[in-house]
Amino acid sequence: MTALTRRSLFATAAGAAAFLPAMVAPARAAAPPSGKQAPGFYRYKVGDYELTQISDGGRTFPMPDGFVRNVSKEQALAAAEAAYMPKGQVRVPFNPVVVNTGSKLVLIDTGFPPGAVPTAGLCQANLAAAGIDAKAIDIVVLSHLHPDHINGVKTADGALAFPNAEIKAPAPDWAFWMSDDNMSKAANDMMKGYFANTRKVLSDIAGKVTRYEWGKEVAPGITAIEASGHTPGHTAFAVASGSGRVLVQSDVTNIPELFLRNPDWHVAFDVEPDKAVATRRKFYDMAAAEKALIAGFHFAFPSLGYVEKDGTGYRLVPVAWNAAL
Amino acid sequence: MIKLSRRDVMTGTVALTAGTVLAATTTSPVAAAAPPAGRQAPGFYRYKVGSIEITVVTDGVNKFKFGDNHVTNKNREEVNAALAATYYEKDMMTTPYNPVVVNTGSKLVVIDTGTSEANFARSKGAAGQFHVNLAAAGIDRNAIDLVVISHFHGDHINGLLTPDNKLAFPNAEILVPAAEWKYFMDDGEMSRAPAGRMQEVFTNLRRVFDALGRKVTRYDPGTEVAPGITAVATPGHTPGHSSHVVSSGSAKVYIQADVTHVPFLFVRHPDWHAMYDQDGAMAEQTRRKVYDMLAAERMMVQGFHYPFPGLAYVEKAGSGYREIPVPWDPTI
Repeated sequence: MTALTRRSLFATAAGAAAFLPAMVAPARAAAPPSGKQAPGFYRYKVGDYELTQISDGGRTFPMPDGFVRNVSKEQALAAAEAAYMPKGQVRVPFNPVVVNTGSKLVLIDTGFPPGAVPTAGLCQANLAAAGIDAKAIDIVVLSHLHPDHINGVKTADGALAFPNAEIKAPAPDWAFWMSDDNMSKAANDMMKGYFANTRKVLSDIAGKVTRYEWGKEVAPGITAIEASGHTPGHTAFAVASGSGRVLVQSDVTNIPELFLRNPDWHVAFDVEPDKAVATRRKFYDMAAAEKALIAGFHFAFPSLGYVEKDGTGYRLVPVAWNAAL
Repeated sequence: MIKLSRRDVMTGTVALTAGTVLAATTTSPVAAAAPPAGRQAPGFYRYKVGSIEITVVTDGVNKFKFGDNHVTNKNREEVNAALAATYYEKDMMTTPYNPVVVNTGSKLVVIDTGTSEANFARSKGAAGQFHVNLAAAGIDRNAIDLVVISHFHGDHINGLLTPDNKLAFPNAEILVPAAEWKYFMDDGEMSRAPAGRMQEVFTNLRRVFDALGRKVTRYDPGTEVAPGITAVATPGHTPGHSSHVVSSGSAKVYIQADVTHVPFLFVRHPDWHAMYDQDGAMAEQTRRKVYDMLAAERMMVQGFHYPFPGLAYVEKAGSGYREIPVPWDPTI
């Protein structure tokens, strides 16, 4: 018997490999590879509510300079590589959530429109795969007004993607991004782009957008929680039914591999970075103490997990896939 | 304005005390709410290893109250503490089953088969899902060329049979570890096996292989069982327990079978002996060798009893290891 050694573990050497001769299968064409991923949706119950995590896809891209503003690029790249990301790159997934409260079908954040980004914009397709009709969505709740959260309210040709839904935006974010004064003071091209995008996506449908306040329900059992810093109006949500709870954190952190492990790091997208750090620590200290289930927009699909303290930061423990509801 | 506080967030009482339910202003047309789906997504996941396409096809999950000897060298309190630390329910064992399908380009290969289609009804759909998810993945069981078995425990071999005891993969050759066959088909070994679970293992595997007329091909460690799939001896869990390295170009994945049982107990604590480990000490030795190699090489492991999709990296952590799930890739 071959002893278990590293060498033998790796040896696929033809020399060592006496290929099994007795292939009895009849001669026929090999099955072609599928080349397609499984549909990206995942269901779970929170009390009486049925929730569906929907993958909008994600982006993998070379880490730009300044991706993490307050540490060196070498340090940021080392963290990405330690988290098994492709060398020199970061991987950022997008995961909206559907909540069926029994009386309302609610979508929290939208991802991108189909085709807008080569490896994203899958929300519509995965909703369909999950058997959820876009026309049946009653309420679309936006956590904040960054493109990966809002652009999917429209289809590729600019029509409403959820034609029967009320759209709800956090009042402070609306005030911030729709202010011409703020836009004129935009500090860099990224911020200028965000101001322009907010207007492009939401201005012509402003009449259909309800502004919501923190501390109130945006739908039955779904309460808006102030989590500002990432943007001035950035909002998390507590979804509660019976004794079940999940915290939909939106962007309290961007990707957990970097910013949950290192909560003091400033991702380029944080508008008010110091406030974002304070919010992050408060949110995760609470979530860790309560062992709260968290849905994270930028967690890897199905983007659900628990957060525990680890050194000076935190660690995400993904939930185990439940194969039957 | 409501501030973020533990109490508010966890109880969800913010709105109940603060009042206004904005949903009352909803403008959507009056309609019956969409009914809940009540069904999980199909359980399959694809990834590439070089030019080879692998599909993890889950057989589902068995959740049960575990017995006092579930971990033979740890007591219930210690097991419960480990479960609590990993967000699992006390006194309950959650065991996923994840066979894989490997498309090498020339052969379509199933590695391990799950708990069987017959178990689908018995478990009320919780397990025995392999055939359902295989179909959802668009894989025709008639197109399977080879079925490679890692070892002879029921959750790995029972899926070889349909409910009417026919080969579930009618055009496939069945490959089994030669050492496993030699040990378990030996009537002397069977007669000496302890009553209870071990006797049942012997009885069950005879039931399965007898239904197939004992028509199998035996393989040895170090041989390629299919193009790009090399068998490795990883004994201890059973005498002939085998793992499989799938390799294409510079890419590799280690299909470990049961080198560890559930990772939240036995990857974290490699010195813990699952009751399923026939030779606990040897299984532990194998486990440490394999996991030291996986950690050193940053090599992906595919675990039969890892939570779906069961693909992870491994790191050393304290006296044990920690599995880092490979993030779901929405596109391949």
